[in-house]
Amino acid sequence: MEKKTLTLNVNNQDYELYINPKTLLVEAIRDHIGLTGTKRGCDTVSCGACTVVVDGLAVKACSVLAMQCEGMKILTSEGLEVNGNLAPIQKAFLDEGAFQCGFCTSGMLMSASAFIKETKGKVTEMQIRESIEGNICRCTGYNSIVRAIDAVLKGKYAEGKK
Amino acid sequence: MISDFRYLKPGSMKEALQMLKEHEDECKVICGGQSLLVIMRQGLVSPEYVISIKQLKDANYLKYDAKEGLKIGATCTHRTVEHSTMIRDKYPALREMEEKLASIQVRNWGTVAGNLAHGDPAGDPAPVLIAMNASVKLGSVSGERVVPLEEFYPDLFETVMNHDELIVEIKVPPRPAKTATKYQKFNLLDSDMGLIGVAVTVTVDGDKCKDARVVLGSAAPTVIRARAAEKVLIGAKPSDSVFEKAGEAAAAECSPVSDIHASEEYRRHLVKILTKRMAKAACEQAKISG
Amino acid sequence: MNRYTVINPHTKFTVINTHVHNVDGIAKVTGRATYTFDVVLPGMLYGKILRSPHAHAKIKSIDYSKAMALHGVKAVATGKDTLGAKQGIWRRYKDLCDEQLLTVDKVRYIGEPVAAVAAVTEEIAEKALELIEVDYEVLEGVYEPLDAIKKEAPEIHEGFERNINVTRHIEWGDVDEGFAEADYIREDWFRCGGQAHMCMETRAAVSSYTPDGKLTIYHSNQSPYYMQGLMAGVMGMREGDIRVISPYVGGGFGGKFELDGAIFATAVLSKKCMRPVKIVFTREEDFIASKRRTPMFYYSRTGVKKDGTLLCREAKVFTNGGAYTGMGATALYLTGFFHSFPYVWQKGYRYDGYRVYTNTLPSTSMRGFGAPQAMWCSEQQIEWIAADLKLDPIEMRRKNSHYEGYEVPGQATIASCGINQCYDEIKKWIASKGKLPKGHAIGLSACGFMSGGIFNWFDTPYSFSSAVVTINMDGTVELNVGAQDIGQGSNTTMAIICAETLGCKIEDVKVHSGDTDYNPADLGAWGSRQTLMSGNAVKRAAEDAKKQLLEFAYAQSGLNIIYDLDIKDRWVHSISRPERGSDYVDLVRKALRGKSGQRIMGRGFYTPYRKGMISPAYSYMLQGVEVEVDEETGKIRLCDSMTAHDCGQPINHLGLIGQLEGAFSMAAGYGYLEYMPYEDGKLMNPNLVDYHMIRAPEMPPANIAEIDTYEPEGPYGAKEAGEGLTNPTAAAIGNALFKLYGIQMKECPIKPEMVVNALKEKKAKGK
Repeated sequence: MEKKTLTLNVNNQDYELYINPKTLLVEAIRDHIGLTGTKRGCDTVSCGACTVVVDGLAVKACSVLAMQCEGMKILTSEGLEVNGNLAPIQKAFLDEGAFQCGFCTSGMLMSASAFIKETKGKVTEMQIRESIEGNICRCTGYNSIVRAIDAVLKGKYAEGKK
Repeated sequence: MISDFRYLKPGSMKEALQMLKEHEDECKVICGGQSLLVIMRQGLVSPEYVISIKQLKDANYLKYDAKEGLKIGATCTHRTVEHSTMIRDKYPALREMEEKLASIQVRNWGTVAGNLAHGDPAGDPAPVLIAMNASVKLGSVSGERVVPLEEFYPDLFETVMNHDELIVEIKVPPRPAKTATKYQKFNLLDSDMGLIGVAVTVTVDGDKCKDARVVLGSAAPTVIRARAAEKVLIGAKPSDSVFEKAGEAAAAECSPVSDIHASEEYRRHLVKILTKRMAKAACEQAKISG
Repeated sequence: MNRYTVINPHTKFTVINTHVHNVDGIAKVTGRATYTFDVVLPGMLYGKILRSPHAHAKIKSIDYSKAMALHGVKAVATGKDTLGAKQGIWRRYKDLCDEQLLTVDKVRYIGEPVAAVAAVTEEIAEKALELIEVDYEVLEGVYEPLDAIKKEAPEIHEGFERNINVTRHIEWGDVDEGFAEADYIREDWFRCGGQAHMCMETRAAVSSYTPDGKLTIYHSNQSPYYMQGLMAGVMGMREGDIRVISPYVGGGFGGKFELDGAIFATAVLSKKCMRPVKIVFTREEDFIASKRRTPMFYYSRTGVKKDGTLLCREAKVFTNGGAYTGMGATALYLTGFFHSFPYVWQKGYRYDGYRVYTNTLPSTSMRGFGAPQAMWCSEQQIEWIAADLKLDPIEMRRKNSHYEGYEVPGQATIASCGINQCYDEIKKWIASKGKLPKGHAIGLSACGFMSGGIFNWFDTPYSFSSAVVTINMDGTVELNVGAQDIGQGSNTTMAIICAETLGCKIEDVKVHSGDTDYNPADLGAWGSRQTLMSGNAVKRAAEDAKKQLLEFAYAQSGLNIIYDLDIKDRWVHSISRPERGSDYVDLVRKALRGKSGQRIMGRGFYTPYRKGMISPAYSYMLQGVEVEVDEETGKIRLCDSMTAHDCGQPINHLGLIGQLEGAFSMAAGYGYLEYMPYEDGKLMNPNLVDYHMIRAPEMPPANIAEIDTYEPEGPYGAKEAGEGLTNPTAAAIGNALFKLYGIQMKECPIKPEMVVNALKEKKAKGK
């Protein structure tokens, strides 16, 4: 087995890694870079707890080879805040109580962020639900998360609003 | 656990095919890896070499022209197909199928070609593409060959690809006039694989059904065409009883399994119902289409 | 979206039932919250467990020399390396303590831990498992309770005749007299499935045994108190030499307040090699080797008067206990108790429960603790009886329901009960829906649930909670609780009660929980006990601290009596003249200076004494679920729901809504999605592809109407919310199908094929 060097850009920061090429993106992020916000909850690409955003696309990091992500911009839940200022989706999650145990939350936030960013114009409630379809939550029953995403899309947390 | 491998990153499709030839018996090609990484993790495959083609930008295309039809490149993702306005206009059934495939995260990274190469009879793209008379272009260092998709799967999880070949392109002919394809799978949850999937393409001529393709997913070891069901539809004047008969024919000619999710009897029942519904929907759509 | 209404009770509070953010929110929404899953300690090794491939077998020998010789392996352990202690939470009943977490002589279920390895990487540990040679003598297995009680069935535990693990009997009144008087008697058999807890964080532990003979454990659990006590027993150590830390916990749902293979194997391995060892279950391991909801066979015979008055019921239940007792004995009792809820049985009630050992995954507590199964049977049968007698199902339920002051003979006093208003709210909702589209129907289900069991199985006969409040010089407050936050928001609920009682702001309160070294003893999160029991302890601790603080204010106030003074929202004031007052932080500073810097500390303790056999208080609810069925395929879709709910005084507003919606999603899964089929003792779907978890597109709106009641035993009148709500939904879905097609579903979860077959059967009968 031949280890490979790799530079990953995570949350706007370059990290130089020296890894076994079979390393999954979630392992690179959690074990090599040390960002543990992203979780793992299954081995079958089902639960979505490992969701991160790569070049604007929500992906399940347990099912992506780290080696394929060189040169791409990777965003995790730790990268949503800017200098301690929470992103709108994070504020919305707090206001709606859109989390309980919190284990799925990082993945949910990333699916929601990608969806919010790529959405232009009005969306239906079902489209919001489908944006987090790949993320399982055992605690909340999803409705509070849908309310949070809806609030952000409706502009509740826009710049200048109180 | 995934076992160790040597990672190869070709700079072009030509280089990828050379690497494939060089290591043909001990390698796997990875693009999105949404299926491959799962079976590697389960220890079902342990290749010595893994050749990534994700980085091959030239292979990431989705193009259409009125003469040749649709061409999907090797590294084109499900999401690209799902969001394409050209697909929405020209091949709406592909978009409908993609919207229900797994989850957004899987569609963002996984590819249509990769899905076809995996050969899961419960997969969504194959039934729809076969219903659309699609073919796959296989590339190797010796050249290219085109195989109709309905001849691509000899057995469960098997394809006709040689060890030194990979899918470089998926081709779908232009949609004939007065033709529509409809696909539906049966599942408990929207994001599940189907217990059964049925794709029907119908071409109408006046008040008759001129041509039909009925394709069943997850109803046999491979995706199959339900020829007896097609015979019921072809030449017939579409009506509820015709659709009913087509459903019964499809149910009789497939060989679904019994497992923890459903009995064989119930799966046949679902084939009957879905075939009936998709035949009707395809006919109605074909009538109003250009 | 939901159209939800939370009816505010007449009393307005400063903090209670206001829109307070979860106190752990910042940590959880920014990726900062670290779970046992994330814990890394210096020098830590990775552990893996070798599991039995057989459902029933003797272990003749284990040779792990080759595993030990593998480079990178630092320790291997089997049952022979342990005390072989048979443990269980029922410490006061020795014969129910039947589980060795690394079995010594025999395996009793597929997946049972047989050996464990610690190595420098997870991969090496896994390779080492393959090198352990276990010589099994395979025995005949038995997998269903009705098979296991047969004379010829193999004996699973020595001395347990007919494999009967536990029996329970509940009786009041004269049931036979009731049947003699009844105008109509109905009897039905039902089958209730199991269910996986499916916590997002699988079982995980990191144990560190050090040369001073002390053990520090990080563990994802619902009760550090129980883990500490139980680990002391199995390790042969003093409790005080064990520290259990539960950092953020990724869900529990009743599955994490017993010892599991992770906590035990890591402790044993760590003791062997004196290094920290971490084990995290894979999702598959979590499915096959962490206990599940109890599958049950239910027989229920009910006698009524033709006007719908419930006279009597006789129930017999056989539960599939699996290989060990776990919490199954309590589930056996509670299912029988709640099968009588929420109704008054005029002549009597009789329940006999038999928990039967089988060679399958042990069954235990899971949110609802036997009540979801009880309601699946009872609420459908009640609906069928109403139909048989041509009575209105809502009014028939209403006239028989519990009421405030009712005494369940020999079992419980119902001190608060809002179920009558629940019927009105549901009727309003149904009326507002108007005529439903074709293929749609609304199914109903009523129930009630306990706010914590009065019992403990441990060092004391009764449950208890403790809390300590310490006021700092700047007015901030350290709230030390033994209550465990597993996602339900107890940290926030306790902070709310503390802030309201003491009179400070919620952001002044820092909650400390999840560490036996620093937190007072408390039984932890199970049976919906914490809001009432831990909440009472917190309230008392805060009252104690406040009184000490107010003594300083009183001295300067010139008021008649100290009880004229209060603090609200950092404002110290006279109750009769609230505009006259002073700043709380100021008062704190003066008071602590007066005490030469000594912080004010308040202590609180609560134990339910003389509160019946089950619980000091009961929540009530009536739920309506609108279901759409595709008649040809049998596919069920949940379209809408409304729950009229009585939890006394809501404390944690956002938490309450979250609990209602979350419980619904889990209960719905039990009703129509989460089947767990076993074949010859093997779980056939130990993964999230084949085990169906409800997702966002399938979740319907979960409307809520809170009924305004006051529970005298609860802090500020509060009772539980969240576990009771897991009880009604399966029956409501079944009742919707009954309403739509007249089919009676005897088995849950309901699969579409079952609906199609039931319709076929009905059609055939009709011919």
